[in-house]
Amino acid sequence: MGPLIPNNLIPLEWNSIIAILIGIVFGFVLEASGFSSSRKLAGVFYGYDFAVLKVFFTAAVVSVIGLYYMDYLGYLDITQLYVHPTYLWGAIIGGAIMGVGFVAGGFCPGTSLCAVAIGKLDAWVYVGGILLGIFMFSELFNFIEPIYDGYFLGNITLMDTFSWNPYWFIFIFSIIAIVAFAFSDFVQKKIKKVFY
Amino acid sequence: MTKKQTAKFLNFRYKILALILVVLAGGLVLLPKYQKNEGIKPEQLLANTISLERYISTDQMAHKLISQDPSFILVDVRDENSYNSYTLPNAINIPLKKLLDDESKAYLNQNQFDVVFFSNDHYYADQAWILCNRLGFKNLRVLKGGLNHWFKTIINPPKPTEDMPEEAYSLYDTRKAASMFFGVVYPDQVQSNEVETPKIAPKKIITVKKKKKVAEGGC
Amino acid sequence: MKELEKVKNISIASTLFILAVIIGLLTYKRPKNTFALNTKTALEKITSDSFFVPLVNVNNQNYKLIDVRSSYEFDKGHLDTAINISTPEILKEANLEIFKSLKKAGKTVVLYGNNPEEVNTTLLILYQLGYNNVKLLKAEISYLQNRLITKNSDIEKSEKDIAEFIKESTKNADSSSVIQIVTPPKKVITVKQKKKKTAEGGC
Repeated sequence: MGPLIPNNLIPLEWNSIIAILIGIVFGFVLEASGFSSSRKLAGVFYGYDFAVLKVFFTAAVVSVIGLYYMDYLGYLDITQLYVHPTYLWGAIIGGAIMGVGFVAGGFCPGTSLCAVAIGKLDAWVYVGGILLGIFMFSELFNFIEPIYDGYFLGNITLMDTFSWNPYWFIFIFSIIAIVAFAFSDFVQKKIKKVFY
Repeated sequence: MTKKQTAKFLNFRYKILALILVVLAGGLVLLPKYQKNEGIKPEQLLANTISLERYISTDQMAHKLISQDPSFILVDVRDENSYNSYTLPNAINIPLKKLLDDESKAYLNQNQFDVVFFSNDHYYADQAWILCNRLGFKNLRVLKGGLNHWFKTIINPPKPTEDMPEEAYSLYDTRKAASMFFGVVYPDQVQSNEVETPKIAPKKIITVKKKKKVAEGGC
Repeated sequence: MKELEKVKNISIASTLFILAVIIGLLTYKRPKNTFALNTKTALEKITSDSFFVPLVNVNNQNYKLIDVRSSYEFDKGHLDTAINISTPEILKEANLEIFKSLKKAGKTVVLYGNNPEEVNTTLLILYQLGYNNVKLLKAEISYLQNRLITKNSDIEKSEKDIAEFIKESTKNADSSSVIQIVTPPKKVITVKQKKKKTAEGGC
């Protein structure tokens, strides 16, 4: 939980409780914005609904701008933030598999649980598939391990790798986001509306 | 009328939001950059500096070493040569230049042990202390007077003269005993032909847990 | 107009968000003093630069002497051209103004106290704040019959080879008896490496 637990501001035992609370809120927002519908999620691939793209892109842009402003004003230290470690080929292969599963099933792992909560049968099947996948992965782990642990690049960011100026990067990134939104609106207008 | 106007305004709402986004992002680029404050505030550092709490006297240190207090790490901030020629028992060597290396930080930035810096005097030790204190490391101490004072008080304690109070004599006795513990041999000790050798303490293995710096998370 | 019905939720959320931003901005206070050097460069500078001014150079025109002892001690006796800014007061605005103007004038600020060790931390705080013209007088101050005496002081000089002294003491003792010198056992301090692997998540 953010900067609070590593700095001993609140004890470690609160971790799970905070996680549950945040999880409930997260699930509520997902469901409230219609993300428990597989049609809406898959819409981004067929071009009739770009809500997913817009939501995630907006979230990323807003949070990165907010974080850098807070860093600038001294409310937080950007260098202390957690950066997810990069395992290059693990990320590429895993991402491809996840993408295929996303199109085929119409859920991503988080939203599938949301859909289970509102009682969708296809989501039950999807979660069953996830569990099966986890089981297979665990069984084959010895075989997969070199890829899973290999190609480790450390906890890097784009700014570190290419030594870009983060501020310019954010500016260009937000322009890309807006262009993407405009483009997705344009595509949405061209494509026949699907009602669901 | 107003309803119509708001409706008209709301037609542009996405464009307005997009504009706000670009303006905010552009603001980040245009904001004047400044050197960010690293570590605690200067005022706090000054307050810590004025307080003499950080100093630990050589007598206290000797007592801790003899009683084999496991609660501290001695850090020698002198260079390697001086470290190899003489250092306090069980001290580790972190030359001042390597103070902020990652492997040094593992020793300095932890909550398990007190860290006691020492050098010949406490000049370099204080420099190490002030940098680590600024970074917010906890439980840092400095050996007052350093090895010079250590020599003057523990290794080679001055003999009290006859006009001194009794306390001076008992202090001298304690220090003399301490110096024997640290390897000094006195002629009168040999005359009695019974040399007490310091006990060998069992080997201690101490693991330093690295303080978790960042939170781990996923989406 | 179906979208407009949702406006209520959105406006509540955005009001809260804007409120949070406004509170953040209102409570924002720019720190008065900030370190100009980060610790890494400070360490580099500390280990490579020399901060010492020997006592003989004390009358150099370019030097401004500053006494960091308390005002009581300053009144008791001080070096001729010195002014008094005691350590606890160096961050006061008026005093920082003095340091700033001295830096602007290109003068070297020479700090002194009872001994160099006492001035050390004061100097380092000022140095890290960006006043790179501060130096330290290599002098000790003592009183003899109420007169101020300055003495050159060596910093971090090893006064005695302790290892040699201990060896010597064994030699001086009667060598007929066997003396066993036992150095205390080495304490093994091992550092646990932080596990690199972390919980993975996706949504």
